[in-house]
Amino acid sequence: MSDAGVPGHETVSGEMPAGGPGSGMARSGAGARAAAWGATLRLLRSELGLIFRRPRTVAMLTVVAVVPVLCGVAIRLVGGDGEAIMAQVAGNGLALGYVAFSVMVPLILPLVVAVVAGDALAGEAGLGTLRYLLTAPAGRTRLLGVKFTGMALFALATSLVVVVSALVTGLLLFPVGPVTLLSGTTVPLLDGLLRIGLIALYVTLGMVALGTLALAVSAFTDTAIGAIVASIVVILVSQVLALVPQLDAVSPFLLPTWFQRFDGALREPLATGDMGQGVLAFAAYIAIFGSIAWARFTSKDVTA
Amino acid sequence: MSTRARAVRWGVPAAAILAVAGAIGAGPVIAAVQGDPQLPELTADQLLTEVATRWGGAGAAPPMSGTIVETASLGIPGLPAVPGGTSPLALLSGSHELKVWYGSADQFRLAIPGTMSEQNLIHNKGETWWWDSAANTATKIKLPAEATAPAPAPLPTAVTPPDAARMALAMAESDTAVSVGNDATVAGRAAYELVLAPKAAESLVRDVRLAVDGETLVPLRVQIYAKGAAEPAFEVGFDSITFARPAPENFTFTPPAGATVTEGDLPALTRQRPQMPAGGDPAVTGKGWTSVVTLPFDAAKLKDNPILAGAKQVEGGRVITTKLVSALITDDGRLLVGAVTPETLEKAAG
Repeated sequence: MSDAGVPGHETVSGEMPAGGPGSGMARSGAGARAAAWGATLRLLRSELGLIFRRPRTVAMLTVVAVVPVLCGVAIRLVGGDGEAIMAQVAGNGLALGYVAFSVMVPLILPLVVAVVAGDALAGEAGLGTLRYLLTAPAGRTRLLGVKFTGMALFALATSLVVVVSALVTGLLLFPVGPVTLLSGTTVPLLDGLLRIGLIALYVTLGMVALGTLALAVSAFTDTAIGAIVASIVVILVSQVLALVPQLDAVSPFLLPTWFQRFDGALREPLATGDMGQGVLAFAAYIAIFGSIAWARFTSKDVTA
Repeated sequence: MSTRARAVRWGVPAAAILAVAGAIGAGPVIAAVQGDPQLPELTADQLLTEVATRWGGAGAAPPMSGTIVETASLGIPGLPAVPGGTSPLALLSGSHELKVWYGSADQFRLAIPGTMSEQNLIHNKGETWWWDSAANTATKIKLPAEATAPAPAPLPTAVTPPDAARMALAMAESDTAVSVGNDATVAGRAAYELVLAPKAAESLVRDVRLAVDGETLVPLRVQIYAKGAAEPAFEVGFDSITFARPAPENFTFTPPAGATVTEGDLPALTRQRPQMPAGGDPAVTGKGWTSVVTLPFDAAKLKDNPILAGAKQVEGGRVITTKLVSALITDDGRLLVGAVTPETLEKAAG
């Protein structure tokens, strides 16, 4: 896994020292601040390049794009017997978007986001490139902000890939028209599209919450794979706990419980209460694990 | 970096955790600080009469919408983890949610949300639909010709607090001590609490608590407490409630394109009604709280059921005890069930 990261890293660590330190050091006051912001933006740009140009990222996004296509083709070939939501796809391609999210939210999307977020700090530390990154005049807090923003944009990108892939497949393979919601109500096409957008945003926020957790773990270790596995274990254990009825009391504190609530967008009236609580839970995760990541990363001795 | 500066940095996540914990715990703490709400004093008799006069006739409740949560912790040994279904068995453990929109007696909607599914009962002016998104079926319910009011027990899974309250009040006879407890807060509203306690010592039920909204007298919550338990063994109540007329869209239902449309009885009732063993009707001995139901029963059918693994061998049969209900499977092929102590069952078995 670390092999795949090396080529990308070389471009960044080569770019960083050239990117703007030195010149920014001499100035003071507003000028220094502007220089720091400039450095932060350059950092973010190179971080995004690093994330999205990596072969592993391209591979993961391809998988994310292929799953809705597979779902669509399978439903087209086998027919929509059994699960009603699948049956709906046969009559309306738009429903493939809902199916794709319900298939991918439990494991595939968390896995993909955890790989990027878990690698963000630990990967650099493990390769010894973190030291060079810290020479940019942006400061550790901003560097962490850059890593967080990169992870969040990646989570948004995966959701968009799911939406686009599902909609294109649905358009090509099935008729498209008014959408039937879980409540049995039929809404116009545009309303159905807006609901997919709402689901995509909600799922993105959920994945950012998980990514923040992975980022916090990532700040504690120099082994990227450790941070990635730890985050995925958290998700898997949460899902197992949610299956035990005696532990119902803890389920409101677990992320997967709230991932599932994206289906509130498919009810009439919109289950704003449920989804609002989900957003609050995600915000709580981001606040707690974001601050843990910050406390650790800004006080850590970077030796490697 | 100095140890001190490091400690200060770790104060930030500590503060974040405290803030989140505070936000989660704020509700109960505020409720505890405010204490019980104060409503005008009423005796049990006055309260019963008020409730009976207001709700004695069917369906005179004010328009409202809300969420009902049903929680059961009966302590049944070896009950498998049933995913949030709507079978009666699923209701015996865990927590279940039900959404209610009520316009009037001939306009209401009940929704049972599940993961990526929803079941709805929609009744609108003489037309009743049952929609099951998982099965993609819309069923037009045949109502008895003379009945414009809903069936008395709409769904096994959809016991609303008013229904449950009506049943509890029907049972409040001479064998029950009725009193008014401390005022409670249910779904953010001040409520009277009516306590119905069985007088018989052999009953496993300590009391049934019925919370009645202080303003509208709508039953908001029913709790059943077992003897010696601090938490209710069964509870159904509003989690949130709004007394306003729900939007009319909630009551209109047109079967969506592609759905299977049928006409018939409530599928939930026909499909999930427990199968009575052939050969003999159930016999009821005792009355009120201490009724014991006797059924013919073939224990071999339950051979590998995990419920039997928790059964205790007694003279002449096996006893399964839960917090609220005891069951005795006799060796001569009878099943005795009641909310009573196992000894009472053994006595009834003879």
